[in-house]
Amino acid sequence: MKRYPFVMGATAAGLAGILSFHSRGTTGLLANSLPLKSGPSAPSNSSKTSTPSTTSPPSSNANGSSGPTSTVPTTVPQSPTTTAASSATGVSEQYGYGTLSVRVTVTGSRITDVKVANLQTIDQYSQQLAVQVIPYLRHQVLSLQTARISGISGATYTSEAYAYSLQSALDKLRFH
Amino acid sequence: MSNDAVGKVRWNVRGVPVAEAASEQAVNRPTIPATLGRAGDLVHAEPVMGTVVSFRVFPGRAGVDSARAAIDVACEVLHEVDATFSIWKPDSPISRLRRGELLLTDMVPRVAEVLELCRHAKASSRGWFDPWAMPGGVDPTGLVKGWSLDIALGTLREAGFEAALLNAGGDLVGFGNPGRGDGWRIGIRHPWLRDALAGVVQLRSAVATSGPYERGAHLVDPRSGEPAQTVASATVTGPNLATSDALATALAVGGDDAFDAVASLDGYEAYVIGADGSERATPGMVFLD
Repeated sequence: MKRYPFVMGATAAGLAGILSFHSRGTTGLLANSLPLKSGPSAPSNSSKTSTPSTTSPPSSNANGSSGPTSTVPTTVPQSPTTTAASSATGVSEQYGYGTLSVRVTVTGSRITDVKVANLQTIDQYSQQLAVQVIPYLRHQVLSLQTARISGISGATYTSEAYAYSLQSALDKLRFH
Repeated sequence: MSNDAVGKVRWNVRGVPVAEAASEQAVNRPTIPATLGRAGDLVHAEPVMGTVVSFRVFPGRAGVDSARAAIDVACEVLHEVDATFSIWKPDSPISRLRRGELLLTDMVPRVAEVLELCRHAKASSRGWFDPWAMPGGVDPTGLVKGWSLDIALGTLREAGFEAALLNAGGDLVGFGNPGRGDGWRIGIRHPWLRDALAGVVQLRSAVATSGPYERGAHLVDPRSGEPAQTVASATVTGPNLATSDALATALAVGGDDAFDAVASLDGYEAYVIGADGSERATPGMVFLD
């Protein structure tokens, strides 16, 4: 049971490493993790109100519920027709319960597709969890630098984890 | 003896504890003055309650010195609440209550007040937030941190500052319009990408997020006693952090039933990212560009 978040985290970290490898920025993952809203081909409308995602997460059943709720649509990055897409497969990353490599398609300066190129896990359970991560990573993710935020809400971190947190970075930024 | 810590707290007419600023009564902590930022705002990070509480205060006409002193008082409040309610401190009043050494009637009124809020949050969440279902006896930890930040923010509000924002390890409460005047913009952390955001919301009063990605599978389903694992991230906004935090915890373990419970509450909105990557939000949850 306990390995569930670890598998997720390690997979995401591996992916992030691969993704940042393909980016050209010099400021690291913070600046160029997945499509930036300010990118040249960024949709002009809100990231949460444009066309619904065409990505259907496996075994998703949350969208079928009724009641006073709404499903938040997410944006799939759109490729401009004038720029050729190029793809590359990253190196295999060890993530604790197996090996993962990801094929990333870049159009212009935006990542337009992420696919699992190779996934070998120790057991089927790990594979199931790892595959579940992938659909979400295709969604548009906001970059901290373009979001102009004053704070970050997230699962409670410890005093030790604060040192590595985005909030810590925000606090430090105010001093300069 | 058990009431030493809480004995430092005076109570004003509104029932809000006011900490003594006197240094001889200060809880053991290094005094690090708040730092002045670029925008004329004060920034301070206080280690307390097993995490770090970040302060950001725009003093306005009340002045920087006044804001510095107020941040110090607010920190005292946080430490005193921690001393009373920490289940990790064996001599805290709440620990002695859990062991049956003291009765609720032996305690300062705010212990009963917190437990009453817990009862209310349990009912509001249809039982998905349940401090009485935790191992080792009643555990109000999921609500008391937010409650203490509500009080700390209240002291800053009463002091008349322009705007303030407090962040306790990912749960935030604030008021006012900082800088440009468009309110506090708060990012919701992406559950799987450490340095990315899943969305941005405008802070009205409080926002809390719960999920298993930071501290492991600590979220326990009160009905089964098993770790919950269907939700990757659960965010609740509301008028106060005490209840918002408790409801976020409920949302992280209670799935659709807890979601419907929060959706039916006035003033509270929910945003959930499932372990399968699906997203769900109540109609009143407004995302910013």
